[in-house]
Amino acid sequence: MRAWRPILAVTALSVVLAGCGGRSDTGETPAAADGPWSFTDGSGQVVKADKIPTRIIAHAGEAAALMSFGIKPVGIYSDEPVKTDPNLRNLDLTGIEILGEEWGKINVEKAAALRPDLIVGDWWPAEKAHSGMEEGVDAQSKKLAELAPVAGVTQGKSIVALAEGYEDLAESLGADVDKPEIAANKTRFEEAVTAFKAATAGKPGLTVAAMSPADDKMYVANPEYAPELLDLQSWGLKVINPGSPDPGFPYWENLSWENADKYQPDLILWDGRSFTPTANAEWGGKQPTWFKIKAAKAGAAVSWPAFWLHTYGDFAIELNKLTEAVKAADPNVGN
Amino acid sequence: MTATTHPATAPTGTAASALRGNRRRRRARSVLVTCALTVAVAALFVLTMMVGSFRIGAGEVVASVLHLSDNPSVDFVVRGLRLPTAATALTVGLALGASGTIFQQLLRNPLASPDFVGITSGAGFAAVTGIVLLQAGGLVVSGLALGGAVVAGLLMYVLAWRDGVTGYRFILIGIGASVFFDGLVGYVLSRARLFEARQAMHWLTGSVGQASGDELRLLCAALLVLLPVAVLLQRPLRALELGDDAARTLGTRPDLSRAGLLATAVVLVALAVAVAGPIVFVALVAGPIANRLLGPATGGIVPAALVGAALLLTADLVAVHLMPTPLPTGVVTGAVGAPYLLWLLATTNRQGAGG
Amino acid sequence: MSATSRYATRTPARGGRRAIALGPGLAALGVLLAVVAFLSITMGSRSIGLSEVLRALGNLDTDGSITSTVTLELRVPRTLLGILVGAALGVAGAILQGVTRNPLADAGFMGINSGAAAFVVVAVTVLGVRGVGVYIWFAFAGAIAALALVYAIASLGREGATPVKLALAGAAVTAGLVSVTTGIVMTNVDALNELRFWQVGSLAGRYTPVLTGVAPFLLLGLAASLGFGRALNGLALGEDTARGLGQHVTRTRAAAFAVVALLAGAATAACGPIIFVGLVVPHLARLLCGPDYRWILPYSMVLAPIVLLLADVLGRVAAAPDELQVGVVLGVIGAPAFVAIVRYSRLSEV
Repeated sequence: MRAWRPILAVTALSVVLAGCGGRSDTGETPAAADGPWSFTDGSGQVVKADKIPTRIIAHAGEAAALMSFGIKPVGIYSDEPVKTDPNLRNLDLTGIEILGEEWGKINVEKAAALRPDLIVGDWWPAEKAHSGMEEGVDAQSKKLAELAPVAGVTQGKSIVALAEGYEDLAESLGADVDKPEIAANKTRFEEAVTAFKAATAGKPGLTVAAMSPADDKMYVANPEYAPELLDLQSWGLKVINPGSPDPGFPYWENLSWENADKYQPDLILWDGRSFTPTANAEWGGKQPTWFKIKAAKAGAAVSWPAFWLHTYGDFAIELNKLTEAVKAADPNVGN
Repeated sequence: MTATTHPATAPTGTAASALRGNRRRRRARSVLVTCALTVAVAALFVLTMMVGSFRIGAGEVVASVLHLSDNPSVDFVVRGLRLPTAATALTVGLALGASGTIFQQLLRNPLASPDFVGITSGAGFAAVTGIVLLQAGGLVVSGLALGGAVVAGLLMYVLAWRDGVTGYRFILIGIGASVFFDGLVGYVLSRARLFEARQAMHWLTGSVGQASGDELRLLCAALLVLLPVAVLLQRPLRALELGDDAARTLGTRPDLSRAGLLATAVVLVALAVAVAGPIVFVALVAGPIANRLLGPATGGIVPAALVGAALLLTADLVAVHLMPTPLPTGVVTGAVGAPYLLWLLATTNRQGAGG
Repeated sequence: MSATSRYATRTPARGGRRAIALGPGLAALGVLLAVVAFLSITMGSRSIGLSEVLRALGNLDTDGSITSTVTLELRVPRTLLGILVGAALGVAGAILQGVTRNPLADAGFMGINSGAAAFVVVAVTVLGVRGVGVYIWFAFAGAIAALALVYAIASLGREGATPVKLALAGAAVTAGLVSVTTGIVMTNVDALNELRFWQVGSLAGRYTPVLTGVAPFLLLGLAASLGFGRALNGLALGEDTARGLGQHVTRTRAAAFAVVALLAGAATAACGPIIFVGLVVPHLARLLCGPDYRWILPYSMVLAPIVLLLADVLGRVAAAPDELQVGVVLGVIGAPAFVAIVRYSRLSEV
């Protein structure tokens, strides 16, 4: 037991702190170190600081949003292993401390050693909490909020609003959002929206439904609780609102496989978390009634980015895929 | 059907002086073991607070806990993060150890610990139902766990009652009930999705890190009241072990004492479950280990509680610091406890008490 | 175990007289099962007219319409699976209660569910297996392995696998396996998702491949189980008496466990852990036909699918167009049944 050895705590601590600090200072945005700084959090409260925060700890998707504007956090916590988190794929995480890879568990000791001056997490209005600090997490995880002020944008009705919120936050933190390579993301996104609108306008009769098949039943997403679907609806795509969502869990309507054909869209938006290019054929072989959805039979299915988007760049990529699918879709497949 | 693990407590045909000497020796050993255990638990308690993402010296830890030093970063880590976890492990361990040994002695069977006979499962079922169906959190979950444990305990007692409660019938019914409750927990979980499900799963894994300050304070208060009560009831408990008639001759009121002991044990285990979730096997093994250390002076509630605390502190150290990824404490106690149970099975077998 | 004297005095006196009524009773239950099976094919979360169902059944081949697909490819295999799995669980429960002389014995008691769950999780994480059609075989293997382990541990020692030792070994093995499963699941989201689907206990989503996969094992087990009536009657009298009657107690017990492993293992693998059926139905059977296992086994075999299918139909009709898993329905109606059993059966004689 090496821990028995007497250690001069103060020395140890300062060494550790200095070590962490030195390592992750690299790659930081050169922001005007002056303040004062303030930001209106999703909860409605104004978060203030004397100086502009530079040492930020962020939840996975929020970290991706900040990084897209050139703000590199010093620490990240996520709800699943960072390797599988869709928010973090294709991101260079070197130099960023991973503080948690499981819901409810954040290593606050490590977080403290990073000496953060801002914690960034989405504000969830229904749970009245920031990401990672909801009811039921480890008591320790909630203490993250004691290290630094917490700020985030409200999760709600629109991914665009979410992305804009993080743009504002990044700008307040000193990001140069007009820098060509950063602004390019937004331009690409705006172009993608224009193209998407044109595609939907060209197919006025096209209806889609967002679906997620599972082994025992299938789920139809309720756009009212899916901000990205609300965005798509606002751009002219006719996403079917399911008639009777589960009262206890209104994100979905649950359909038994006997009722798989209840909705007959022209194009299926397939839950992106389980979509693969061969999924449609596989489910057709596995579930006798899957091909009773005419769009499935016709192979008209496209991945839908369910519940995770935070950035213009990611949304643009996903939107372009949807635009292609809409263009290729036959508006007379369903009813 | 006789439980034979406790050596005969009543010496026969010994001279009075030898008896006195014997008793003195037993008391001396009991005091010695209790003191040694206290020191060990205290050392583990401090050690738990020394290790983590970075090490802090023992002196520094003690100074910080006692508010003798003023170093904000050390204080945040020690008092803010590590002390609650360590205190949870300590108090939950004490509660489980005490409760387990009371059950085992009352039912005169080393297998009759609350996590084995459905009381922990009952508490867990009530808590998970609360989380999933009532969106409960914090102290409400504790209250539900307490209610669940009391109901499960009463249910078991009523079901197993037939001219008194004998050990093995109680255990068989208890195991049946815990399978039943675990099944119900599975169904409740399957009804929940995403948010509540992950909260309930998180709670169910049994971990000393998840308690909030309120729950911990409740358990501390309960321990401060109930441990002395348990010590006061130690004498009647010994008397009850000799049988109700003998207990009556020794001036104990069997039913009253039994009810008091059961209530104490159920409340302790329920609060422990409420704070840390279901942590298996600590209650089962604490008593027998303490008895082994105590030698002839078996049955002490305080030593068993201390063994429980030492076990849980060690399990937490192993689960959080020695594993490649931190695991819930309950996983470690389960993985260690199962072989112990099998060993117990083998030895029970040799003594021919297999029922 | 002093509890057996009552069985001993009752069995010979009543057995003969009862048998006269028991045969027709069993036939009547068989008719009831046929009615329930018919209900299970005609009723569901989708309302299909009786005439359409009959036409689909008459064609025996899908004509491509959704009604015939639902009837022939969803409801018929589901109903057949329900009958087989129900019968298997009922008989397995009856045998276990007889062999262990524990009225609360159930396959879940013996580590079957935790063994199957552990193997499913390992299959998902280590071998990357997906989908119910593949991992039922891992679940089957896990269930059998756990049961074998429990039996082996309980058999250590001179007096063999006594009820209490079986219960304890079951609890110990369950605890160990649950620890392993939890440890893996906490670090692997995929495993958690697959496990949560499997753990519900449902007849939905299992079609002809699953049915044809497990049916041979279930049929074999069911056929074999009917030969155990006399042996179980002997064991019910107590081991010593059974031995005195010339029975090989250890051999009987081992054979009975092999049959239980086959039945409960295949049933659990196909549908996930379904409790209550194996626990409750043998008691219902005992209420109807008395303590003679030669009757309890066939009665359980017919009663259990009736209960399971009724619960399944209820879950399908009550929540349409969604459906409730049969395990959930059984959980709700099983709790009062459990209390009733404990109150009215001879539990106090354990």
